[in-house]
Amino acid sequence: MTPSGATTNRKIDVHGLARVEGEGSLHVAIRDGALERVELEIFEPPRFFEAFLRGRGFEEPPDITARICGICPVAYQMSACAALEDACGVEVGERIGKLRRLLYCGEWIQSHALHIYLLHAPDFFGCRDAVELAALDAAAVERGLRLKKTGNHLMETVGGRAIHPVNVRLGGFYRAPTREEVTALVEPLRRARDESLETVAWVAGFAFPEIEAPYRFVALSHPDHYAIETGRIVSSDGIDATAAEFAELAVEEHVERSTALQSRIEGRGPYLTGPLARYALNHSKLPAIARDAAAAAGLGPVCNNPFRSVIVRAVELLFACDEALRLATEYEPPEPPAATVVPRAGTGAGATEAPRGMLLQRYELEADGTIHAARIMPPTAQNQLTIESDVRRVVELGLELSDAELTARCELAIRNHDPCISCAAHFLDVSIDRS
Amino acid sequence: MTARVVVAGIGNDFRRDDGAGPAVARLVAASTGAEDIGPIAEPLDLVGRWEAATLAVLVDATRSDAPAGTVCLVDLGDADHQSNTSTHAIGLDRVVRLAQALGSAPNRVVVVGVEGLDFSDGTGLSPPVRDAVPLAARRIADLITETA
Repeated sequence: MTPSGATTNRKIDVHGLARVEGEGSLHVAIRDGALERVELEIFEPPRFFEAFLRGRGFEEPPDITARICGICPVAYQMSACAALEDACGVEVGERIGKLRRLLYCGEWIQSHALHIYLLHAPDFFGCRDAVELAALDAAAVERGLRLKKTGNHLMETVGGRAIHPVNVRLGGFYRAPTREEVTALVEPLRRARDESLETVAWVAGFAFPEIEAPYRFVALSHPDHYAIETGRIVSSDGIDATAAEFAELAVEEHVERSTALQSRIEGRGPYLTGPLARYALNHSKLPAIARDAAAAAGLGPVCNNPFRSVIVRAVELLFACDEALRLATEYEPPEPPAATVVPRAGTGAGATEAPRGMLLQRYELEADGTIHAARIMPPTAQNQLTIESDVRRVVELGLELSDAELTARCELAIRNHDPCISCAAHFLDVSIDRS
Repeated sequence: MTARVVVAGIGNDFRRDDGAGPAVARLVAASTGAEDIGPIAEPLDLVGRWEAATLAVLVDATRSDAPAGTVCLVDLGDADHQSNTSTHAIGLDRVVRLAQALGSAPNRVVVVGVEGLDFSDGTGLSPPVRDAVPLAARRIADLITETA
């Protein structure tokens, strides 16, 4: 049996973290009963998307960047559109904006349902995966699958297909769905809203380690609604910036062990984007149904326990279903479906909220629309240092645990943030060294 | 009770030979009465569509070193096919196991591959793949007969 206990030297290696996307590993070294080192190593090969984009036309990034990720392509499309429309001085109309938000809700529903039910919940039941969870609680897994299906349905209706939507273009959409097509979403969304309420109650019953972290939260914020596709970037320590300004504040550094850049805010340090950040910074903007469900689940307006992020994600799932239902009910097709975007020389930046955190893109265009430079800041790269800090805290508070228990706790600490290593590779596998 | 047989083509008709799966599925549905449950965007889509099926056949284009038009059959009950679960996708083997745990898996799941040649943009299959479509459909029809 592997030695354990606070007074020994231990080394825990997880070579291939499960239920996260991409290839990475975690190495933890414990010397004389004290934590020496935590390293999140991301070895997924670099993907060079920023380099691919140089020399391409200004209308191409929504389709090219969507291919970075199969679970949050809409986030890439929407951030690309926001950045390029900013560069070209274009603002889209209200109806196009609402249709974008409806499509984005589909991605939140699909992604959050997948993560809560199939990737994260098994940890809380001591299950290896959703298959084992299904044997314990088939009704819950079936509910998760129905929720995900509703998200897929919404994506297909608005985006043309559930993965890598084809209907998004700079300025809006190639084709606006008809009122009848969107009205057909209303009943499934009403059922999904009911089932997402059940989801909040379900996850609230999980057992959570009592660990809190002093996060610096960063998220989009909008005066009128819970921000997804528009808003200024705010932080829990007073930042209030445009996407362009934030791109200057955020410093990305390369470390040898990682093919992902690690982000920090100049002069401040690491930060966290994603559900915990959005919830803390925008709680008052949630609709009453979501605020009430959060309160009933035991959440205050800020949650600093990363393990409870599954409750926050469930509250956001409820929000997304409710918001999509509202948007589908009020839907009026935009005419035309896209605003005209004429290129000009300049720089533009845009940020939107991917399910797992804020995604920022910035482009420099030449006068004819050729892309001179591109910068993409995916949420997992921005969260990487904070995820390492979470693991460090978990190990320090869990030195008495066996290697197997500590490894499971470390993996859970990482999955709390629903990381996408492929997006960041710019990741997972855990090693704990007590030797 | 009549056996329920479902077939799903996986692929994109607008990427030439990637459309082999849907082409075979359409032909099988038309010629055997099997229920076409495609299109399938990801394996999880199958849960909820293939319930109570005695046989589920999934047809996809393949890309390996085999000659274009080669038809291969993989019975998912035959081997331990392992895939990883990520935030992006759950592999077909896991979906079959998940459906089994939920009590909704077909009795038998067979994957049929048709080796493609041209995956470029555009419609229409390359000649060897076009010729392989009826061959693949016949092998699936034989499977259906064998399962009935």
